[in-house]
Amino acid sequence: MEFALFLGCNIPNRLPHIELAVRKVLPEFGVELKDLDGFGCCPDPIGIQALSHEAWATLAARNITVAEQAGLDILTLCMGCFETLKTINYEIKHDPELKEKINSHLSKIGREIKGTIKVVGILELLYRDIGIEQIKSKVIRPLNGLKVAAHYGCHALKPHYIIQFDDPSMPKSLDELIDATGAKSMPYLNKHLCCGTGISGINEKAQLSMIRAKFSEIVRTNLDCIVTLCPLCYIQLEMGQMLVNREFGDNFKIPVFHYAELLALAMGIDEKELGFKLHRVKVQPALEIISKKE
Amino acid sequence: MVRQISSEFRNEIMEIKHVGVTLSYCYQCGTCSGGCPSFRFTGTFNPRRIIEDVLLGFKEELLRDPIIWCCCVCHECLEHCPQGVLVSELLMKIRELATKYDNIPDNFRAEVETLVNTGQINPKNPAVDRRRVSLGLKEAPAAPVEEIKKLIEITGLINFLPEKKEVE
Repeated sequence: MEFALFLGCNIPNRLPHIELAVRKVLPEFGVELKDLDGFGCCPDPIGIQALSHEAWATLAARNITVAEQAGLDILTLCMGCFETLKTINYEIKHDPELKEKINSHLSKIGREIKGTIKVVGILELLYRDIGIEQIKSKVIRPLNGLKVAAHYGCHALKPHYIIQFDDPSMPKSLDELIDATGAKSMPYLNKHLCCGTGISGINEKAQLSMIRAKFSEIVRTNLDCIVTLCPLCYIQLEMGQMLVNREFGDNFKIPVFHYAELLALAMGIDEKELGFKLHRVKVQPALEIISKKE
Repeated sequence: MVRQISSEFRNEIMEIKHVGVTLSYCYQCGTCSGGCPSFRFTGTFNPRRIIEDVLLGFKEELLRDPIIWCCCVCHECLEHCPQGVLVSELLMKIRELATKYDNIPDNFRAEVETLVNTGQINPKNPAVDRRRVSLGLKEAPAAPVEEIKKLIEITGLINFLPEKKEVE
């Protein structure tokens, strides 16, 4: 499998340790990641879409043309990028008028969107295209004893009529992926509560209250860490804990992992080769649980 | 205060391609608000109520109200609506109409500014690039700013740059 790797803004410029883990893990499953020149911001499916659908669609389409020219499907690591690129790739195939309007804009920079490629998200790739059995076959150091809170990220699954993957009301893909590493994805209340990134900068109090509600349950359920696949959720969950502690006087310090980091550990990649020092919430307590059970 | 009613507002929304027509399926059951994380934690952002305002024609009042920007865009409402109303997508269209009333949060204007200048929303920066190199990664790619800027101008997104503050 060969993909044009669409990094987005947040992973390369804020969370390089996630990129590192992804680049270590995916090639082990025969996934070839091509770095193309010319990608820009996806752009943001919340702010930019709300200001102008036409601008949002055109800028997204420009990114898609970069991959079309190379004849490659796009792999997105960020659920925001996934929502944007997946939606526009869907809309241009279902709305010829919109496609024409986009192409009249793109012609001014010598580009044209054709609709010849697919946009694949990392959750789809891991669960549907690689599959649980393949993943299990590479696990040489099962993460036994680690109790995990799975956090899907809204845009990994919704809107379902566009994304058409898993069941947005009762998803199982990430839970099964976590279980495949030997860790255990545990049920907890507020599991499917949004991270609130969409209203950060608009209503901080409500956004922090969301994070607080989630972590209160994770602590009450006595879970060891939270695992997500979305960099925006990751930032909210990590930074959010610190802001909640400051705002409400709590003392949350639940380690936050990107799924690729968890998988890398299970595949026997040494923790020193991963960027755990860049985590803002210390991951050591979770790593100790794994090494004790070995 | 007498509330202004626009009898055309409902039709204006209904005409929005694909999404608009679902407005008429709404029977105001409130499932959208029941599952809405923003409603749960703000107590004031109420998607059912916003749809009601559209149905009743409180156009200007709604489009001038900053509360419409409190949607997380998590799409819970869209997934759970028993009538298939594309609630979160309607809310997106309502926010787009609100820009005509200059009802735009500052942080989204700032986002447009960063996008025009760098082609990204969280732009590449030297400190993280050093961290990348220490992890064995290449420096982060830069975006093709000129192409992106041109599209921002052509599509009118450029109009949403932060408003210039008067210098005293």
